[in-house]
Amino acid sequence: MSSRGERIPEILAGFLTVLVLLVLYAPVLVSALFSVVTIQRGTILWETFSLSSYATLWSNSSVLQALANTAIVAIASAAAALLFGIALAFYTRSENAIGRRSIEVLIYLPFLLPPIVTGLSLLVTTSALGVGRGLFTVIIGHTIFVLAVAYRLVSTRLAALPPSLLEASADLGASRWQTLRYVLLPHLASSIVTGAILALTLSFDETLISTFVAGDQMTLPLRLWAMMRVGFTPEINALVTLVLITSIALALLAAWRLKPSWSEADSSD
Amino acid sequence: MTGHAKRWLLFAVVAALPVLFILLPIASFLITSFFRVEGGVILADPNLSNYGAFFGNWTYLGTFLGTLWLCLQVVLLSIALGYPVAWFIWRRSGTVRYALLLLAVMPLFMSYIVKLYTLRAMLGLNGLLNQMLVGIGFLDGPSQFFLFNQRAVLITMTVIYLPFVILPIFLSLERIPRGLLSASADLGAGAFDTFRRIVLPLSLPGTIAGGLFAFVLALGDFVTPQMVGGTTGFTIGRVIWSQFGLAYNWPFGSAISAVLLAVALLIIGLGGYAASRRRV
Repeated sequence: MSSRGERIPEILAGFLTVLVLLVLYAPVLVSALFSVVTIQRGTILWETFSLSSYATLWSNSSVLQALANTAIVAIASAAAALLFGIALAFYTRSENAIGRRSIEVLIYLPFLLPPIVTGLSLLVTTSALGVGRGLFTVIIGHTIFVLAVAYRLVSTRLAALPPSLLEASADLGASRWQTLRYVLLPHLASSIVTGAILALTLSFDETLISTFVAGDQMTLPLRLWAMMRVGFTPEINALVTLVLITSIALALLAAWRLKPSWSEADSSD
Repeated sequence: MTGHAKRWLLFAVVAALPVLFILLPIASFLITSFFRVEGGVILADPNLSNYGAFFGNWTYLGTFLGTLWLCLQVVLLSIALGYPVAWFIWRRSGTVRYALLLLAVMPLFMSYIVKLYTLRAMLGLNGLLNQMLVGIGFLDGPSQFFLFNQRAVLITMTVIYLPFVILPIFLSLERIPRGLLSASADLGAGAFDTFRRIVLPLSLPGTIAGGLFAFVLALGDFVTPQMVGGTTGFTIGRVIWSQFGLAYNWPFGSAISAVLLAVALLIIGLGGYAASRRRV
């Protein structure tokens, strides 16, 4: 397919791709390097190589607390988003459900709008209702943020299921509950797992909504942000590297989960 | 109970969650935008003074227009860099293609705050960029050119939001039927003609979608300008954030956010329209 006319643009675009990827990954590589060695005047002082900044991290109670908070928030909001996402997907599955489109618009809204709007609207509401800010409000914020992803994955999978599947189940005398338990949920399992991984990844990283509703609680991004204001230390770099490794691992997991459906779509062309 | 009433009851139960947690908060901040603050207390006294203060004061309106211009630059730069990358990845095949796509998209999931932190370190006076430029002799000494100004915000936002642009462009290229390309070649079109008449128009919806996505994200971002923007990199997001922090004027902050929301909705609507119109 590639003719002579495409050679030169292809080489240029390839060069640009390498450059862009380098720029995109530079933050990761640089912070990983900085966390173990000292760099002075452009030279890396390899003799300063040390993992001690990782060790001090484990005795930093505020970091550990933030880590625990982040884990609680991520797991709780992923679980809530999936639960509600599945329920909503079942409802909107039927073409003549009342308010189907409006509900979908509402679900997608927090994902599409700038997070600052979601964050401050929750802040104003919780304050008007007299709800104290803390982990609970962060969980609410993250849940409505990742709900769009959970809903989208489940509803797409539901729509792809042949209606005959449900009819067959009913013909065989299954109750609606049995159909849900033995037919629908097993078919949804893979999209539920993918949704959970994506939701965890997004929640782990979420900063802008959290800063509005966290009150005096700290999640890991908020703690990092607070530490960054003070200055650069090897300890921050160590934490940064650990955070990046976790996000990359989660992202790879999500990518690996999404790949089968992606290559199926590829071969159906 | 009739079937009709049952359906409405079901609707009420199902809609409760999105209404309570999504619609109600948006409605309540819109209502707050008509209130005012006096002596540190928010008074429920509906009036338009916040909107008057925003549109009547060049400091705010100018910052808002400046932010829109900044976001537009971010989008144009992201498309200029992202389109060739997406195109190059699309032209690969098999594992290379998937691996490159993964590499280009994965930064989406890499901690936002960490990227800010390292980019700030890299753009600074003793940062990697300055050291490299001095090292190759491009600069005589480290320069303040790259940090704590509007330029730094532009560079940082582009690096952060670029993957959001690459992915939709790639997906729209991916959707072009292979048959169209070979048909074009069979009819004697050169590579450039095929690109201009088929590939480019058909990948336009994805390009627009990616650009608008980046625009909306950049529009509301208040942490990036705060971290790398210094005093000249002031954006509307920072103004809103300060109203909810030190300035403590929630109604005014809500009013500016309402304007932001209107712009964001307009852009999302335009994007949806563009995507539906140009669909193959």
